[in-house]
Formats: sequence, C-alpha cells, structure tokens
Amino acid sequence: MRQAWSFLQSEWRFLLVVLSVLSTLLVTALLVPMRESLELAIVVLAYMLPVGISTALGGFVPGVAASLASFLLLNYFFIPPYGTFQVHHPQHILMLVGFLILSTSISQLVGRMKEGLATARARENEATRLYELSVDLSGVQSENDILNNLARHLTETFQAERVEILLVGEQSSPVVSWPNGPGPETPPTTVTSLQGAQRLLGEIRLWREEKPPNPAEDRLMRTFASQGALALERNRLASAATRARVLEESDQMKGALLSSVSHELRTPLATIKASVSSLRDNTFDWDAAARSDLLAAIEEETDSLNQLVGNLLSMSRIEAGALKLERQWNDLSEIVAVALKHARSVSPSHQFEVDIPEELPLIFVDDALMAQVFNNLFSNSIKYSPPGSLINFKARRKDADTLLVQMINQGPAVPDENLERIFDKFHRVTAADRITGTGLGLSICKGIVEAHQGRIWAENLLEGFSIQFTLPVPAGGKPPDLPDV
Amino acid sequence: MTTQPHILVIDDEPQILRALRTILSARQFRVSTAGNGEEGLALAAAGKPDLIILDLSLPDMDGIEVCKQLRGWTQTPVIVLSVRESERDKVAALDHGADDYLTKPFGIDELLARIRVALRHAAQTQTKQKAVITAGPLEIDLVGFTVKRAGVEVKLTATEFKLLAYLAANAGRVLTHRSILTNVWDPADADHVEYLRVFIRQLRKKLEDNPEEPQHILNEPGIGYRFIADE
Repeated sequence: MRQAWSFLQSEWRFLLVVLSVLSTLLVTALLVPMRESLELAIVVLAYMLPVGISTALGGFVPGVAASLASFLLLNYFFIPPYGTFQVHHPQHILMLVGFLILSTSISQLVGRMKEGLATARARENEATRLYELSVDLSGVQSENDILNNLARHLTETFQAERVEILLVGEQSSPVVSWPNGPGPETPPTTVTSLQGAQRLLGEIRLWREEKPPNPAEDRLMRTFASQGALALERNRLASAATRARVLEESDQMKGALLSSVSHELRTPLATIKASVSSLRDNTFDWDAAARSDLLAAIEEETDSLNQLVGNLLSMSRIEAGALKLERQWNDLSEIVAVALKHARSVSPSHQFEVDIPEELPLIFVDDALMAQVFNNLFSNSIKYSPPGSLINFKARRKDADTLLVQMINQGPAVPDENLERIFDKFHRVTAADRITGTGLGLSICKGIVEAHQGRIWAENLLEGFSIQFTLPVPAGGKPPDLPDV
Repeated sequence: MTTQPHILVIDDEPQILRALRTILSARQFRVSTAGNGEEGLALAAAGKPDLIILDLSLPDMDGIEVCKQLRGWTQTPVIVLSVRESERDKVAALDHGADDYLTKPFGIDELLARIRVALRHAAQTQTKQKAVITAGPLEIDLVGFTVKRAGVEVKLTATEFKLLAYLAANAGRVLTHRSILTNVWDPADADHVEYLRVFIRQLRKKLEDNPEEPQHILNEPGIGYRFIADE
C-alpha cells in the first residue's frame, strides 16, 4: 500500500513534467503559422508564459523542463535557419542563452517561493495543532484526561489508525488507546518516547497506513510528546502539592480533634469518676437527696459522652464522604416531633414553639439523619440561649422547589464575620470552658443538609439568633401517588 | 411460663454480660449468657429461654444471621442491641424476625420496658389477643372495629382502622415500615412509605391531643413506628 502510494506520487510528478512540455508544444503550434509576421522578441516573451505557468503550478522541476523544451523549440522553429538547431547570427545566440538563463532563473525563483509558501503553511498548521493541543492539555485535571486528549490530537494530526500511550510503572497494557478496543497485531509504525524533565514517563505508539512520518512530522510528533510529558509532570506536581496540603491540614485537624476530644472526654469522665467513687465510699453516709444528685450527674455525663462519640462518628463519615442517604418520603413535622421530645427532656426550662403548616408536602429525605440535624439545632439553641427563653421552630414553603426551615432562639448575636465560621469543625464562638461541646454539632448539620442538596446559614435577627436551612422539594413538591383514602 | 422468666444474653462484651446478669438477676429473671453467636444458638436450643437479648456485632457471625437461624425453629422474642449509627442493621434484624431493638448505651428502665412488652406479646400470641386496648383517652376495640376517644366514637376509614389495629395489637413494640406496609396494605406496597406517612398523619389528627407532639403513635426515624398503650 505504501509503495503504491509513493509510486502514484512519482507518477503524478512525471505527469506534471509531461504537461509542462506539452504546454510549450502548444505555444509552438500557435506561433509557427505566424512566425513570419512576428518579432522574435515577442516569440521569446510568449515562451516565457508556459515556463512561468509550469513553475507556478508544478514547481521547480516542471519549470526547468518547460524552459529547456522552450529553448529547444525556439531554436528549432523560430531561429533562422528554421527546422535546424543551427544558429548563424551571434545576436540570436545571445538571445537564446539569455532566454535559457532568464527562464531557468524564473523557474528557480518561483519554485523556491512556492516551497517557502508550502513550508510556511505547514509551519502554520503545526503551530495551530500545537496550540489546540496545549489548550486541551491545560484545561484538564486528571492524568487520564491528559493522555486521552494527547492520543486524540495525535490521531487527528497524523491521520493515525490507532494511538496507544504507555506509562512507565504501569502494567504493560496501554493506559490509553485511541480509539478504544484491542490494538492491531502488527508493530506500531512509529514509537516516540514521553520524556519528562527528570526521567522517562512513557511512550507513544502510533499506527498508520501511510508511509512512515517525514522529518517534519517526526519533529511535530516529538513536540507533541514533550507537550504531553510537560502536562503530565505539571499534573503530577500539582496533585502531589494538593496531597501534601491535605495531609498537613488533616494533621492540624487531628491535633485540634485530639485536644478538643480529650478535653471533652475527660470532663464528663471526671464527674463520673468522682461521683461513683464517692457513692462507693463506705465511710460516708450520703443522704437520699445527695445520692440522687450524684447519680443524676453520672447519667447526664454518660449521655453527653455518648452524644460526643456519636458526633465524632457522624463527622468522620461526612468527612470521608461515606454518608449514605436512605431517602424516603417523610413528614417533616414527625421528624421534628422526635427531636422536640428529646429537647424538652433535656431542657425542661426552655419554652418550645413549633410552627409547621399542615399543607406542607412530604419531603424526600433520610429521616434518621434529618432527626440528627434537628437534635443538633435544638441542642445548640438550648446551649446558647438563656434558660426559660423561647426556642422557635418554623418551616415554610419558600417557593415551588424549596422548603425553608428556621430555628430561632434568644441567644446572643454572633459577630457578622463569624456567621459562616460557626459551621466549621471545632469552631466555638464562646470561650471553650464556658459551654461544653466539641463544636461539631453545626458542622454535622451542614454536612447532612448539603448532602440533601440544601444550604444552611446563620443570621442575627433583631431579637435573637437564627439558623436556617433550605431543602429542595422534589418535583416542585408534587406528592407521590397515594392510594384512595 | 415459669414464675422466673429465663433470659439469654448474647454479647461479646464481658462487661455488658456482667452488668446485665447482675441487674436482671436482681429483677427476678433467670439469666444465662453467651459470648458469641455459635454458643448463643446452642444455648438457645438447649436452655429454651423465654427471651433472647442479642448484640448485633458478634465476633464469629453477624447478629442478623443469628436472628434468621433462631427464627428457623423458635418464636422466642428477640431484642437486638445495636449502636445509634446503624439504622439499616436494626431494620434488617427487625425484618428478619427480631421483636425489638435497643440502642447502646441504654437505660435499664428502657430495657426492662422492652422485656416486659416482648414477654407479654409472646404470652398473648400463645393464648388470646386482648380485645380492647386502651391508651390514655383512647379505647380501641379490635373485635368491634370501633375507636373511642374520651368515650366518644371516632370515625375512621377502613384502612385507617386496619393500620391503627395493627399498631395497637403490637403496642410497645417497634414495627418497621416494611412490616406495617406488608400487613396493612400488601407485600407489593412494602416500599411505599409515603402511604404510611399520610395515613399516620390522619390518624394522629383524629386521635392525638396535639398531633405535632404525638403521645401514642411515635415515630422512630429510619426504622418505623411504635404505638404506646397503657401498661
């Protein structure tokens, strides 16, 4: 196939030479009948025409062929004595030599120009291809996308049947092949290495039916490869930097977690230990009131320990992206009722008011997780608002697609710059020793609400403080199909 | 049933076994303990306990598997112990025949209440179901198909009554969404939790003093419902 193609190409060039000679014959055929009446200078000029056209269309070789043919024809048919190659007049010799020099120079000049133009076009084409490649390589994040884009560009630019890219250190099968599917049995037409700054990254294998790449194509292919290698290295450096940053952050996190957790674990443990050892002390006789006081303290502290452990677990699940939503249709008011019942038992002194319109549609949520959100919000309100004050829960349909939930308490205002930070892990607005808790409750709320495609935020109100969140109402609040009541 | 009900506790935590043995013995229960699933199944077969308390995370086999195997040959009530974060496991255990669940850590009054309900329910299925169940101001007549609230009859639709009757007949026990939907509607409707939500809302409106803070038809998020009747 390849041989056939190069044969065709040489055939095509040969055809051009024949055509250019034919064009000089045509000029001769036209001029010979008129040769008596024509000035020789005009004839010479007329012969320039096929020479110029042949060079312009066919390049250097057809041009020289035309000029030689013209030289011979001019001599034979138009320089007296006609019909011979003899020249008697020195003036005519001069003219013929001048014609030959002039016409071959023209062929050479035009030919070079043409070649220059072709090279410039090829360069422009290369530059465009390279630009497109670099744009496509810089826009992607993952190694696989980089390799895919590189393979695609190689396929398009070099009309390849197939491109495979292999990486050092990966298994022997290609990381990326374009198009997909098993490769051909034959060895690749060309192999180019993907050379990084420090070491070899891999290689590109390319199959195509045409002849092996010419030097220009080879150069372009190597430029493509080095662009690809550059993109790969940049990407690897960036992800290494990200990993390092994440590690550093998680180290800091662990530090904060450990100091917070050990403090929060020790406080209730201290109470429990002190109370239990007092009660076990046989040398002292506690009266009934004191006993029940100590026992109540123990129970409260175990509950808070349990809550702490639960919060830590929830947080780590949210952090690890391991939160699995078990969504089903739910009645918001009955999830709130569960949290409210718990809140009333935790703080009998606060007043609670719940306002949920009856016509609210069912919502598609994970009820166990939403119950946790409401528990944390109630517990947060109880902690930060004065005893006896009102804690208000409201839910509204904000628009066809959104439900707005508000928890309003009479707690102190939070400085505006901290309104977002209160949802950060371990962020505590007040001094850590005044109010117990790890500062995890609200960040868990945030994690759960956002997993439901909702948004949560805090606001200082004219009177009091509120935490609000939205939840999407699926299908514009269209209730699921229900059986006849 | 003997005067001293026999309770088998299957848990791999020696501290829990020790505490439960002490506490339950003091409450006049006969207690035997097993540290893993194999031993638990063997003791259940040999000792014929009246009730089994089963931890879901056992070293040798899945607690749900133990539940399944027990249900292969006995209807002895099973109360499963689990941690808060595993609603799915609780539901799986309940759907595989467990009677109720408790979340660790639990208060002993909660455990005793669950034990009482489970033992009573087991006794009732052996003899005869109570015909009238009272819960606060509510009087539910399972035979006469009537419901009275503070002496006044409440009109319920057929489905509403069927739902209420199922809840009340299992008073004190948690019922999973699946089990309610299967029994009140149809096994084919087992996943249509929305039916349940709508009918529960209607029942509460008709029966509860404050439907926003129900006292009798309680929701257990992620699991199901529990009807609270008078003891």
